[in-house]
Amino acid sequence: MKLSFRFFLIFTLWLITLPTPSFAEPETPLQPPIPSEWMAVSDEFSLEPLEGNLIQTSQTNLNPYGESAYTVPDSPLLIAQTKDPAEKEVEFEEQPDTIADPIEPVNRVFFHFNDRLYYWVLKPVATGYKTVVPEDLRIGVRNFFSNVTTPVRLVNCLLQANLKGAGNETLRFLLNSTFGLGGFLDPAQKEWRIEKREEDFGQTLGLWGIGPVFYIEWPFLGASSLRDTLGYTGDLFLHPQTYLISSIYISLGVRFYDVVNSTSLRIGEYEDFKRAVLDPYIAKRDAYHQHRIYKVKERK
Amino acid sequence: MNRTFLIQAMFCISFIFGMVAPGFAGEPQDQLKETTDKVLSVLADPDLKSPSKTKERRERIQKIVDERFDWEEMARRSLARHWTQRTSEEKKEFVPLFKSLLEKVYADKVEGYSWNKISYEGESIDGDYAVIKVKIFTAKDQAIRVEYRTLKKGNLWLVYDIMVEGVGLVNNYRTQFNEIIVKSSFSELIKRLRVKSAQY
Repeated sequence: MKLSFRFFLIFTLWLITLPTPSFAEPETPLQPPIPSEWMAVSDEFSLEPLEGNLIQTSQTNLNPYGESAYTVPDSPLLIAQTKDPAEKEVEFEEQPDTIADPIEPVNRVFFHFNDRLYYWVLKPVATGYKTVVPEDLRIGVRNFFSNVTTPVRLVNCLLQANLKGAGNETLRFLLNSTFGLGGFLDPAQKEWRIEKREEDFGQTLGLWGIGPVFYIEWPFLGASSLRDTLGYTGDLFLHPQTYLISSIYISLGVRFYDVVNSTSLRIGEYEDFKRAVLDPYIAKRDAYHQHRIYKVKERK
Repeated sequence: MNRTFLIQAMFCISFIFGMVAPGFAGEPQDQLKETTDKVLSVLADPDLKSPSKTKERRERIQKIVDERFDWEEMARRSLARHWTQRTSEEKKEFVPLFKSLLEKVYADKVEGYSWNKISYEGESIDGDYAVIKVKIFTAKDQAIRVEYRTLKKGNLWLVYDIMVEGVGLVNNYRTQFNEIIVKSSFSELIKRLRVKSAQY
C-alpha cells in the first residue's frame, strides 16, 4: 500500500516535470542535419494545415507547400528566424485558423445585400432617429433591450457552468430592473461594477467542443456560422419577446427598432471598417471568426 | 526508492522556481502608457482641435506612434509565408504602403471615438514578448478590450499587433493579403494598397 502510494507520488511529480524540456531549450540551437533554409521554409508555413482541424481550414490554405518549395528565401532574415525559439512559438500561437467557407459565392451576394441595406435603409433611418432622440435616451433604450434579454445570458452562463456569471446576471437584472428604472439605466455596472456577461448559445456550443463548421452570411442578420445559427435559434426560445409578443409583425417591428437604436449609437464604425480594409468580405469573415473564438475562450 | 523520490522532488522544486522568470515588471506597460498619454494629450490639445489643424494633428500623432510601432515587423507578419518570397525591392515598396495604411487606420480610430477612460488590466511578459491588456471605456458606456502585443528591441518594447476584442489587426490583414496573393498576385496587392492609400 505504502509503496504504491509512493509510486503514485513519483508519477504525479514526473507528470509535473514533463513540460521541462520546452523551458530548458538551449540558448544556441542545435544545428539540424538539414540546411537551415529548409527549416526556414517549413517554419514560415506553420503547422496550421497539418495539425489544425481540416474542416476549419479554408481552401486557400490547404496546399501550403505548392508554391514555395522551389523559392529561394533570402537568407539572413530567415536564419535569424530559425535561431529564435521564442519567435517560433509565437508564430505558431498566432497563426490564425481560418473558417471554412464552402458557400462563399452565396455569402458574398448576401454580404453585398447587407452592405446596401446598411447604406440605403439602416443608416438613413438611424441618422434621422439620432437627430430626434437624445443620446442618453438611446443608451437607455439599448440598456432596456439588453436587460430584457437577461434570460439568454443567464441560462447560457449556467449551461457553461459559469456560476459567477449566472450570479452576476441575476444580480444585474434585479438591480437594473428596480434601481435602474426597468432597465433603462445600468446602476449595476456604474455603481456596483458588476459587468455584463455576453454569453449566447453559440458560445455554449463552442465551449462544449463544437466548431463553427462554416461561415454563413445571413441577409438582415449578418455574419454567422452554422454553429452560431443553431445557437441563435436556440436563444430565441429564451427571448421573452418570443412569448410576450404573439404578432409576428409587432415582433419584427420591435426587433427593427432595437437594431435602429443600436445602429444610431455606432454610426461611422462600419464606414471606418470599410475604409480600412482591402476586401471587406474577407475581413468581416475573419474578424467574426476570431471574435467568436475569443468569446468562447474568454471566461471570468 | 527513497533516493528516486528525493531526486524527483528536488527536480520539481527547481523546476517550479525556474519558471518564475525575473521579469522587468511594468516596463512594457509603462512605455505603452507613455505613448498613449502623449497621443491623448495631442487629441485633447485645444490649439489643435480646429478642422484646419487636422493635418498638423495627424502628423503629430503619427510621429508619436512611429516610435512605438514596429512597422516592418507588422508588415512581415501580415505577409507571413509570402514575405519570404518577396525580393527586397518588393519589400521596400510594400512596407511604407502598409505603414501608411495602418497609420491612417490608427488615426481614424483614436480621432473617431471619444475615449472616456483607459484602464490598464495587466501585462504578461514572456522573454522578449509582452502582452499588455487595456480596457477602453467609450463615451457611450461600453468597454472595449484591447491587447497590445509587443516585442523587445533594444530597450524599447515595440507594438507588432493590436487585438481588439480578440480580432488581431495584423492577423486580419494577413487573411486578406493571403487571399489576394493566392487568387491573383502580389502586384495586385500592391495595386490595391495604392488605391486604398489614395482614398484616404
